Amino acid sequence: MALNFQQNGSASMRRVLLVVLLVASLALATLYAREGENGPLHTVQNAVAGAVAPFKFAGAAVDDATSSMGDGLADLTADETSLTSLREENQQLRNLLSQADEYKQEAERLEGLLNLKNSYDIDGVAARVVGKSIEAYDQFITIDAGSADGVNTGMTVMGSSGVIGQVFRTTERTADVRLLTDSKSGAAALVQSSRAEGIVRGSLEGLLYLENIDETKVPQVGDVIVTSGLGGSYVRGLIIGTVVRVDTAAGNATGRIVVSPNDTAASLEEVLVVKSLNSEGALGNTAQNGGNANASGDAGTTDGDGDATQDGTNDDQEGGETS
Amino acid sequence: MSETRDRVALIVGAVLAVLLQVMLAPNIAVFAAMPNFVAVYALLVAIVRPTTSGPVLPFVLGLTFDLVSGGPVGAMAFLLVLVTFLASRAFMVLDNDTLFMPLVIFMVGMLVVETLYGALLMAFGFDAGALDVFIYRALPCALYDCAIGLILYPLAARVLALATPAQPGSPHLR
Repeated sequence: MALNFQQNGSASMRRVLLVVLLVASLALATLYAREGENGPLHTVQNAVAGAVAPFKFAGAAVDDATSSMGDGLADLTADETSLTSLREENQQLRNLLSQADEYKQEAERLEGLLNLKNSYDIDGVAARVVGKSIEAYDQFITIDAGSADGVNTGMTVMGSSGVIGQVFRTTERTADVRLLTDSKSGAAALVQSSRAEGIVRGSLEGLLYLENIDETKVPQVGDVIVTSGLGGSYVRGLIIGTVVRVDTAAGNATGRIVVSPNDTAASLEEVLVVKSLNSEGALGNTAQNGGNANASGDAGTTDGDGDATQDGTNDDQEGGETS
Repeated sequence: MSETRDRVALIVGAVLAVLLQVMLAPNIAVFAAMPNFVAVYALLVAIVRPTTSGPVLPFVLGLTFDLVSGGPVGAMAFLLVLVTFLASRAFMVLDNDTLFMPLVIFMVGMLVVETLYGALLMAFGFDAGALDVFIYRALPCALYDCAIGLILYPLAARVLALATPAQPGSPHLR
């Protein structure tokens, strides 16, 4: 009897607790939605993001480990099947070779960033990607440069060949970069050849769409899309990507224009945070048609039809300098 | 003593779930689908221990997920409290001592969590169509969660069920 009473009491307590926690979580969600970016919940969330950053560093190591797991398993099997010293030595040499290959690839990526920085005369900070967003609805990466390195909210971030996103949150040692492919992202852009202005938006599918384009200046497949700098959200003159699909016609801008980004986050390990651009960037080149944008090394050229030039001619520049 | 061990097992599992979410989940994402270890763990506990699991663990786990992920604070906490309660009650009613029923409840629970999370995000201003949210995020993520849950369920049933004294209504792995 006593046990029954206790169970009933416990059950009713649990129900009360359930209702209290449901109401509390709804109240928190409502408060979060209504408060500004500087509200208490956002502040706590930013603090937690900073506190979690070291675990993301460890997560990057996990990423490396998972990517080389297959190789490791194969190597382990080889060790088990042969115990001769020659094979062990061979194994060591293979490890050294793969390590050297890793260094080589890293050097090539860094060289690409350096070329980009020199070509565009970019004043920026190089950083490593140390983490990614932990839920499916957000697409952002965490880099190992923060406010102590001069990285601030709103700065444009590039891979070795194009814009990848924008810093939206910083801590002292890390910064979170919202990727251009995130559905919350949007960048004022223009078609390099026709100077038609529009907005490049991310989407849930992971594609970039060029929207709000002038009906009379619908781009062609192969046109290069660069940031226009309007609104001051992104630095002007940096390559975003290339038009790969146009489901609309001139005079009808209601269709979809798909842009293939030059850089994708999946392959990124190092990035460049752009503080300022001391040139016209990709807008400092002549108009061009066809081919893919290639900002690595020979910034701003296209390689499709081979008709692209890089003579530094300035076309009818719109707007001001770097915003 | 058993109660202490019981609690420790639950807490260790919860900490592991959060660590896996932060360190592993982003690196094993398949296209847009990313597993939600936190939700998987909360639901597994609710199903494996339907009579003893309360709303505090899912609330704390959900709140932690919200704070770490950058999503609306309170959204995942609300969903986990609600869905784990419903899942444990459903299990107590529908349990037929086979592996089928807990897994079905788990899969339905995950689909509900992912779908409602997408709906909540939209309600809080996420700019996307309902169909897109379901097709490109909720469904792939729910399927991924189910795959993770199918792997972890035997382990959870063994470890967490062992920590509690056997009682009528507790799940059996068959």
